[in-house]
Amino acid sequence: MPFLARILTALALMSPLITAYSHAADGSPTITVGTQEVGLTAGYMLPHRLTRDHTTKQQGVAFMPSWMMTITDPISDGWFRGQVSIGAEMVYIQFQEPFLTHGLGFTPKIKYTFVGLDRIRPYAEFAGGPFWTDLAGKIPEESSRFNFVLTAGFGVSYFLTDRAALNIGYRFHHISNAGTRYPNLGLNASLPFGGFSFFF
Amino acid sequence: MMSQIFSRPLIGSVLAMTLGMGTGCSHWIDLAAPTDTALPASATVATDARVPLLLETIRVTHNGSSIAPPAILERQVLGAIESTRLFSQHYQSGYTQPTGNQVRVTVRLSIDNLVEPHAGQAAWRGLLVGASMFTLAPFIPLHYDYGSQMSLEMERWDGQTKHYTSTSNGSAHYYLFGANPEVIEQLKGQVTEACLSSLLNQVIQDSPFFLTGSTQPQDHPIRTVSVGVRRSSPRATPISQPITDSSRR
Repeated sequence: MPFLARILTALALMSPLITAYSHAADGSPTITVGTQEVGLTAGYMLPHRLTRDHTTKQQGVAFMPSWMMTITDPISDGWFRGQVSIGAEMVYIQFQEPFLTHGLGFTPKIKYTFVGLDRIRPYAEFAGGPFWTDLAGKIPEESSRFNFVLTAGFGVSYFLTDRAALNIGYRFHHISNAGTRYPNLGLNASLPFGGFSFFF
Repeated sequence: MMSQIFSRPLIGSVLAMTLGMGTGCSHWIDLAAPTDTALPASATVATDARVPLLLETIRVTHNGSSIAPPAILERQVLGAIESTRLFSQHYQSGYTQPTGNQVRVTVRLSIDNLVEPHAGQAAWRGLLVGASMFTLAPFIPLHYDYGSQMSLEMERWDGQTKHYTSTSNGSAHYYLFGANPEVIEQLKGQVTEACLSSLLNQVIQDSPFFLTGSTQPQDHPIRTVSVGVRRSSPRATPISQPITDSSRR
């Protein structure tokens, strides 16, 4: 947890800098087709043992640098008016429990952002891709180091400027090896996160 | 370990595709031929026969919804009219006006823009590209269509009016990594430019209608000026114009 505290402190320290920048360049966010987004997100993974066979309480910090490309203008009208963007994300997880181990993954990602509320933009996202971790083999749920990670979640972006946004949200994380080796019970976790995105 | 899983040709192909995505022609614009098939018009008119022009209104709709005309569009329209040199002075409503009794031509322009971003198709194709771990990105193009229909009403000082219409449309095609807001802006700019050129070409063909009668005495040499539509690019056949990466910001 001290490590998480350091991350949160860093994010908190960055916030005033971004806010100060927002006063210099105030404006409504205009995200159009072709707008790119780079972001850095950090969170803390909390385990879910969904069956009696799940015994591992894996937890640890996660870092997720990402890149997205907006590929649609706002779709439809009403409260669900929004834009689709696709991109990719690197996932690094430092498991601190039950063993200090690491995980690294690459996940293509799709995101739907609701644009009806101007600066406050909720979004839903889904990502999945290969994931390597040396935690596997040391726990009863997973046997192979090569796995896949699937995540689905939602969040809210608050645009501090027309080009920078603060994000917070929640993801459900699932790690398993798609039956390539057994046992393959899978690891499930919640991942509350926060971070920043920059649009250009 | 990697070589056991992935063969060298496979890795080479992926690297080649990645390089191709970064360096190849990743976006281009197709501009449809304008509906007006008249040849570019030009004329020589007496300088003193020209009258001032007042751009009174520009009404713009975007997929049927009225929007405030962007300032850049107003400048583009006024600039295009100005470049024909058919009128002696150019005024815009809300700015400096010609004097009340001054002979002038009043212009009212209506622009109906149609945007088809193919959002649903883009979303599905994007999903497919993501699911393929971006290996299909160089092979799945995304499209954005834009069309413009302009109606120009020109009212002479004596109340006589003439109406002109023009339609132009085009498509931007791009691959995921070639997407750029500028591609869409360039598409809109080119479609608007083509539509305006077509419209003003019709106006030039009617140029005597917008000139006052000869005010020069017969024995006085008449100064003249060539009028015509200044085209930024040749029209005729549809254009397939790759945009070089140097245009990207």
